[in-house]
Amino acid sequence: MRISEGQNSGRQKIVYYLVVLLLSTYGVSRRSIHMDSLTPFEQLVINIVSPIQKIVSQARTDVRDFIVHYTMNVEASKKNLDLKKDIGQLHEEIFSMQEIALENRRLKSLMDFQDETAAKKVLAQIVAWDSSSDYKMIRINKGSNSGIQLQSPVVTADGLVGYIFRMTDHYADVLTVMDQSNRVDGVVSRTRSHGIVEGYARGKMQMKYINRREPVILNDIVITSGLGHIYPRGIKVGTVSRLERETFSTTQLVELSSTVDFTKLEEVVILVLSYDQMKKQEWDALDQTEEEKLRIVEKEKKMKSREKAKEKEAPPAATKKEKKI
Amino acid sequence: MMRSRVNDILPSLLITLVLLLVLEVASSLIPILGIFEYRLPFNILIVLYLSFRLETPFLPVLVLFIQYIHSFFSIEGWAMGTLAGTLVCILCNYLRELIHLNSIPVTILTTQLFQLIWFGIVSLMIYMKTGETHYVIIKFGRFLPESILMSLISPFLFSFLEKIWRSRDEGILGGSN
Repeated sequence: MRISEGQNSGRQKIVYYLVVLLLSTYGVSRRSIHMDSLTPFEQLVINIVSPIQKIVSQARTDVRDFIVHYTMNVEASKKNLDLKKDIGQLHEEIFSMQEIALENRRLKSLMDFQDETAAKKVLAQIVAWDSSSDYKMIRINKGSNSGIQLQSPVVTADGLVGYIFRMTDHYADVLTVMDQSNRVDGVVSRTRSHGIVEGYARGKMQMKYINRREPVILNDIVITSGLGHIYPRGIKVGTVSRLERETFSTTQLVELSSTVDFTKLEEVVILVLSYDQMKKQEWDALDQTEEEKLRIVEKEKKMKSREKAKEKEAPPAATKKEKKI
Repeated sequence: MMRSRVNDILPSLLITLVLLLVLEVASSLIPILGIFEYRLPFNILIVLYLSFRLETPFLPVLVLFIQYIHSFFSIEGWAMGTLAGTLVCILCNYLRELIHLNSIPVTILTTQLFQLIWFGIVSLMIYMKTGETHYVIIKFGRFLPESILMSLISPFLFSFLEKIWRSRDEGILGGSN
């Protein structure tokens, strides 16, 4: 009887192992980190757990603020008297600044300035980070109830953060640009060289598929191209921090540092674009990319013709020497 | 002791999952301490404990549950960890007679060794999917300090899990068999 029980549990064991192995292999092969929909149960768990993460995160901010405010308070009472004197001078400066601001506004209206990202903006706070060090996800305290959508781009004043990867009614997970699974269609602002930016290592990103002949230099700024249905055009992604041009390769290795300081990130802005807006932006980006390419080609042609003209005008140095001799 | 009925494992499983939830919340908030590069993968440690200590046909299902809970806190998902965890369980099953976690140093060393195996399986899968070795090398740089710390924690977490699973009488930790 015991032998048959043992045999049964042995068979049971093999069946469970096989089923789970097959299921997980299927899951691994199907998994693509692009966008994820959550089941009601998953939403429930995240909605229960996230407030705890939020409370702990908030407690840390409160403690830090308390310490900072206390030390600052002591310092502040000393500086208070000096500052009062400065206030008078600053009032005068504010007045002149206001004049400049008004002038600026007038000039902008004259230039027909338009905000390119005509999107609804939702402010959110970070409540937690990915529990695995291999992935660079952040959890924010805004969800579908705040009007955000899956794949809405997430930014700060400094640049691009990522996009909404999955969400519940009150919380959302942002797949940041530092993650290896996130790919951004980017353009080097100065040269208009096109490439794909993806998370690399140690807080850096890599811009792939840039031809080695492209004259990219250090500190060049990379912006979003507007292609790919997710990110609007012209958002800062990073600055070039390392370049490698191998003789055997047709492309060059471009390493970027993010313009956003992820270690100090506390608040982000989610840009909510409607489907039509996204489509329009994509088409605009495509049109403008073609126009820019043509403009650059024309510019290069002009430059070359100018150089040739200069060469013709000025006799070569060698001939001058020969004449002297 | 073979636990071949669901009722034998269900209460302990539920407590373990709650514990995992708490530990995952703690791990996801490590960056507030200013440490952005490293996390503590408690899910791996719990899976290792179950594979070392538990004798039940439901072991792969338990691994699946643990990885499913982990997926709420990481975009890693459940699949990769489940595959690695199940393969580690199979290995433990074969080496069951050799694993005697009868002292703290042995527990630390064994946990470190199996974490290395876990890393190898996951890295192989990542390499098969992306074809990039550089990412795996960088991952190894993160894995080393993380795994060492987890191995040092393991004797304490294991003794806590011991109380939850009441598995001391099963003999693997050097007790009576």
